[in-house]
Amino acid sequence: MTLLLAILAPFLGAVLIAWNRRRGRLRFAVKAGIATLAALACLGPDIPGPFVGETLVWRLPWVPSLGLDLALRLDGLGLLFALMILGIGLLVILYARYYLSPQDDMGRFYASLLFFMGAMLGVVLAENVLLLLLFWELTSLSSFLLISFWQGRSDARTGARMALTVTGAGGLALLGGLLLLGHIAGSFELSVILTSGDAIRAHPWYLPTLVLILLGAFTKSAQFPFHFWLPNAMAAPTPVSAYLHSATMVKAGVFLLARLFPALSGTPEWSWLVGGAGLVTLLVGAFIALFQHDLKGLLAYSTISHLGLITLLFGIGTPLAAVAGVFHIINHATFKASLFMAAGIIDHETGTRDMRRINGLWRWMPYTGALAMVAAAAMAGVPLFNGFLSKEMFFAETVGAASLTRHGWALPAAVTLAGVFAVAYSLRFIHDVFFNGDPIDLPKTPHEPPHWMKVPVEVLVAVCLLVGVFPALTVEPILAVAAQGVLQGPVPPHDLALWHGFSPALWMSVIALIGGVLLYTGRKPLFALSSTWGGRWSARAVYDVALATLFALARWVTRALDSGSLRRMLALFTSFALVLGYGGFLVVPAGGAGGGGLTGPLRLFPAEPGDLAVALAGTLILLAAAFAAVVLHRRRLVAVILLGAVGLLVALAFVTLSAPDLALTQLSVEVVTVILLLLALYFMPQQDPVEPVRRWGWLRRARDLTLAGAAGLGVGGLAWGVLTRPFESMGPYFIANSVPKGGGANVVNVILVDFRGFDTLGEITVLALAALGVSAMLSGLHLYGPRYDAAGRPWEPDPHPAIMALLTRLLLPLALTVAVFVLLRGHNLPGGGFIAGLITAVALIMQYLANGVAWTRARLPGDLNPVIAAGLLLAAGTGLASVALGYPFLSSTFGHWHLPVLGDLELASAMAFDLGVYLVVVGATLVILVGLGLVCTLDDGEDRR
Amino acid sequence: MSHLPIAPVLVPLVAGAVMLFLPRQGLRRGLGVAAVLAQLALALALLAQVADGTTLVYALGNWPAPYGIVLVADRLAAWLLVTTALVALFALLYAVRGDDQAGPHFHPLFQWQLLGLNGAFLTGDLFNLFVFFEILLIASYALLLHGRRDPGRTRAGLHFVVINLLGSSLFLIAVGTLYGVLGTLNMADLAVKVAATPPESVGLVRAAGLLLFGVFALKAALLPLYLWLPAGYAQATAPVAALFAIMTKVGAYSILRVFVPIFGPGAGPLADLTGPWLLPLALGTLAVGSLGALAARGLRRQVAYLVVASVGSLLTGFGLGSAAGIAAGLYYLPHSTFAAAALFLLADLIAKGRGGLADRLDPGPVIPRAVTLGALFFVLAVVMAGLPPFSGFLGKVLTLKAALGHPLLPWVLGVVLLGGLCGLIALARSGSLLFYRAGPTNVPAPGPGLSALAPVAGLLMLILGLTLFAGPLTDLTSAMAGDLLAPAAQIRAVLGSEGQ
Amino acid sequence: MEALISVVIGVLTALGVWLVLRERTFPVVLGLTVLSYAVNLFLFAMGRLALGQPPVIANGARGYADPLPQALVLTAIVIGFAMTAFVIVLALKARAELRDDRVDAEADGPGEPGEEQP
Repeated sequence: MTLLLAILAPFLGAVLIAWNRRRGRLRFAVKAGIATLAALACLGPDIPGPFVGETLVWRLPWVPSLGLDLALRLDGLGLLFALMILGIGLLVILYARYYLSPQDDMGRFYASLLFFMGAMLGVVLAENVLLLLLFWELTSLSSFLLISFWQGRSDARTGARMALTVTGAGGLALLGGLLLLGHIAGSFELSVILTSGDAIRAHPWYLPTLVLILLGAFTKSAQFPFHFWLPNAMAAPTPVSAYLHSATMVKAGVFLLARLFPALSGTPEWSWLVGGAGLVTLLVGAFIALFQHDLKGLLAYSTISHLGLITLLFGIGTPLAAVAGVFHIINHATFKASLFMAAGIIDHETGTRDMRRINGLWRWMPYTGALAMVAAAAMAGVPLFNGFLSKEMFFAETVGAASLTRHGWALPAAVTLAGVFAVAYSLRFIHDVFFNGDPIDLPKTPHEPPHWMKVPVEVLVAVCLLVGVFPALTVEPILAVAAQGVLQGPVPPHDLALWHGFSPALWMSVIALIGGVLLYTGRKPLFALSSTWGGRWSARAVYDVALATLFALARWVTRALDSGSLRRMLALFTSFALVLGYGGFLVVPAGGAGGGGLTGPLRLFPAEPGDLAVALAGTLILLAAAFAAVVLHRRRLVAVILLGAVGLLVALAFVTLSAPDLALTQLSVEVVTVILLLLALYFMPQQDPVEPVRRWGWLRRARDLTLAGAAGLGVGGLAWGVLTRPFESMGPYFIANSVPKGGGANVVNVILVDFRGFDTLGEITVLALAALGVSAMLSGLHLYGPRYDAAGRPWEPDPHPAIMALLTRLLLPLALTVAVFVLLRGHNLPGGGFIAGLITAVALIMQYLANGVAWTRARLPGDLNPVIAAGLLLAAGTGLASVALGYPFLSSTFGHWHLPVLGDLELASAMAFDLGVYLVVVGATLVILVGLGLVCTLDDGEDRR
Repeated sequence: MSHLPIAPVLVPLVAGAVMLFLPRQGLRRGLGVAAVLAQLALALALLAQVADGTTLVYALGNWPAPYGIVLVADRLAAWLLVTTALVALFALLYAVRGDDQAGPHFHPLFQWQLLGLNGAFLTGDLFNLFVFFEILLIASYALLLHGRRDPGRTRAGLHFVVINLLGSSLFLIAVGTLYGVLGTLNMADLAVKVAATPPESVGLVRAAGLLLFGVFALKAALLPLYLWLPAGYAQATAPVAALFAIMTKVGAYSILRVFVPIFGPGAGPLADLTGPWLLPLALGTLAVGSLGALAARGLRRQVAYLVVASVGSLLTGFGLGSAAGIAAGLYYLPHSTFAAAALFLLADLIAKGRGGLADRLDPGPVIPRAVTLGALFFVLAVVMAGLPPFSGFLGKVLTLKAALGHPLLPWVLGVVLLGGLCGLIALARSGSLLFYRAGPTNVPAPGPGLSALAPVAGLLMLILGLTLFAGPLTDLTSAMAGDLLAPAAQIRAVLGSEGQ
Repeated sequence: MEALISVVIGVLTALGVWLVLRERTFPVVLGLTVLSYAVNLFLFAMGRLALGQPPVIANGARGYADPLPQALVLTAIVIGFAMTAFVIVLALKARAELRDDRVDAEADGPGEPGEEQP
């Protein structure tokens, strides 16, 4: 529990600080400090545990099905890191209060800093590796915020995005690796994973797992070739660099190596990958560091180099090497953090970080200089300072590893060379800055910083000294505990002392020191050399190219696919459907049953020759009309008329095939559709303009032709296949129950209003929606009808011939009577609400066409939407009535009445439903047609400019 | 008997119809919000009632299945209903601030859009599903065109309408063939009949089934049928785009509903019909979506492409076919819906603050309330990119974990992780362009008020809830996956439901 | 008979698809209409063909046509009608606002919103 609180405390602090953002640097710093101390306090009670060899594990279930729990653990390794994170965090908070200027948004800074602190604590205290990954990614996100703190600067933005991209990518790889790891170990809990090392190493997935996890660790710890983001992250405020880029975040990678050491290490793959990466990084970092002119740049590359050193130690893989690795983690954190702070002070007081301009500062700030010297000496590995101890252990380990392989001498030689460079750049950091002549036009005249800004440096430097002189008394206990946490077992004997006699390690240190001094004194030619090739080739450049390529690729792919062309979408969809359809029919999946032929076993009933002749004739006419419509589609009026003919023939087909209801519906729909098309045509070009001849035009036509042909063949074939197969339909049930239970003899209508009335309810909703949508589209739309028709003749000035007007007015009552009749008989004979509705609508439309809109509107309700709504509510209401009676929605009932005119009439509740259908159809059709009519009168006749 | 299953359909139907009698916008707004709240309550009640695995079968007109139409309300349907109601609520709350006046009839259209969605989730009849598809489609056509005059939107609308009309024709052909061969439309009955397909008809049924898959793939915006989405969603008015975040899920849901119980493991000669198709296509969709997000030069278009990518992730889960995979997808579904909706709304707020630049990804003036909007964008970007600690991350990990045993594991791992990386890069770029590289503001416009931020914050809260209660919720989705893979009980429940 | 109806369905489908793939909105609308004829006939045929059989319950009928597909087709026709009406008006709107009755912008690809050239 206290562990969770320790992690939560910084997050809560961040929220609080972000919440009230009143000015005042001190207030924010104090709040942040309190949050940190609170975290320490929560941790306090558990600190003794690891020292007596206990591993504290605390668990709160979160996503059991995923194996992800809020499981935390505190062992030596976690404790060491937690103390470093919180301790150095405190110093950084204090330091930042003096480093940042009043203009900076302190609230945002401290909130992000605490956000990071919490995430980092989570990483080191996680028991569940998925939880570890979760916090891992949070550190990447928070570091993005911190690096981009001065968001006005482009280097800050690019640096932040680079860090996020590289470490984020590493995090994703790590996720993959941990998933595999958990799968192998059978659990995501560290306590399980750390004890099943042999199983993991023996598993066939070991190598991919290892590689993915190492990708995560190396990107985070800036190992070559992923190191380039760290120097670019130096755009961050120096407190951030001191915290994230020396002590904590970049250590997360090596922490992961230490954490999974028992599970993954001890194989040649591990040694080569980890050791190799470490060695290269060690050398490259040390080498480049020497040639940096930017103070922080030098420190960044030296950090890279030291991280390489630690990685190499874990790569060597012996227990003692691991101990040395942990030891150097501690030492590097202390001296590098203090060096960054010193660099910050110099930057703060001189206004620049360029070592070519900063010289001879000793005169102005001897105290800071002294502090920096101690830290630099530790970094160089000078005796009496902590860096020396861990470095000597490191040298010793390389010698030990060397004895194992042929050409082993190469390793000690290489690391000694790296040591030489380390001494050189440390020397430069001191000599170039504090001596080496006079400063060159500094922006400010330097002076010692305020006292409290130096305190954090003093503390850290003191640690360097104490550890360096009395290692056994100071660092030994925590080191032992941490090492135990790494090895998950006994710690090998090691004695931390200044003097181990004349061991090879000692000589290597001596060589490094002397060589470093020589190298620095002879630096001039080297600098000249570096300035010629400097930065010509860098991992950064590779990254830039890679990212640019990625964006280019994305644009290319996207533009290639998403051309915003409807015709392409349609062609793609058709092709996809064809592949699916034909594929499904023809391709027999492995192990699947055979498809069976297209033509089924059903014996077709012999049609009467007469019928056949008629049908044949009808078919031919229909096809001819359809073909003509397509061929002539450029002459649109003709096409519409031919299309109408096709529709009528389809209706005829329905009649022949014993479907009078369909025929009636098809007929009435056809009429309205044709009217609509003609109205529309009024605003459209009367014929397609002749298209300009395009290159590849023929290709496109060929494609369309193929698609159309294939589609026709497919659907026709499908029909044939089904028609030649027997099946038992649901028809008999409806026919049997239509009269007794549905109360209607017209089975189709009974299905529509009763058996499947729900479909019909939906269908009229679609109609209503169409009406709404159309009126919405037409509102505020201006359509310009042509003055002349295609042949250049002016349109008929008098659109409403008298005869026609008269006839239609006479026809209206008749039509309405027919409609009512059709509506009422619908339940027992062909007809029904829909057909009746369309008849009514057509009759009324005739009035519009014949008498003009003005005349008709005067005699009709203006807003027809209520009619539609009423119809819908009536239909839904009949359904609800049955609900009220305790039956399911749309249950019907019926009874018989005797009416004089219509004879024995059977009134079913379903007929009220049908009335609703009728109303909706009338309303919707009128809204659509009248709406269109109204728009066209907008610019009609003389009043058109 | 309980009428709960029909209620989510009736409420929006009646509400929409009544609105046509109410001329005043204020009344329509009030009724609309009330109706959506009612639907939310109903959906939650339904979920509570079926959470234990019972299936409510509602025989419309009291006609027994398979002859009549039945509604089948189970955990899965309720889960989708709740998601829909929630996203609709916040989209509507955003709309009533004025976007609903950009054109006539917004509120009835909105209600009937919900009617179509709810019906599609509830129905147990294939042809009835077609009808509800048509309702939600024509409503979406009208809603997509809703807004002030904008030729670009009109063209996008035209494309959207025509491609979907073609889809509807295909739907009818597929359903017709299935009826013609198997003689039924009821889904449960189909599950029985498909398993017993006579050998000589297996080919026809397989073809019909795959055609149906094509229709759903179009609705779900699966590769290569996703092209209608980016332009359409990027052009739609903000609240409409937010609501449309659920639209692709209808296709995904139908794929699940039809192809797991009917053409799934138990389908005898037609077992695992979509198996070879779904997973590769889903991964491809994820890839093109992520690349599109990188390529986009407008924030809304980028979000639209991220929606495509999220469809890919979702269907990757479904495509794995295992219970774990389906459960992962079902957990990811509401997450991706809420995240996309919130981002569409936020993109609108950002665009409003940038004058002529709108949502173009170019450096512009500092937008009003930049800190608040920036913070929201940062969090939503993390959510959308599937980074920790939010539900997107959990969903992604669930999917990957489900893929661990699958032969295509390397592909799944690679595409999902790289897709996430692309999203991260794209959103980081947008964020630093929109908020960091901002010059001095030229127009001191008032920033978005609380009423504008509340819906975004609300959706964020939902995502937080999904994250915190991931445990119980994933248990629920696992149960749904179980129901789908072992449909026998539900089939019995449906076909056993006799009329009077 | 079956052969005839299959041929009609197939040909109508082919013609419809061909028209839908044209460049201008008007033929596309026509194409959708033709396609709906084809689909309605197809759906209708799924109930098998029946010549001269009574549509309504009557004594002494030899048999009945399958009424269900007829009902489905009726629903399909109505929905198709609604869609046709909608798309016709949309075509008009597009023509009025885009000053062009092509379905695609003249320059494919670049020029799409959010896809400008760098």
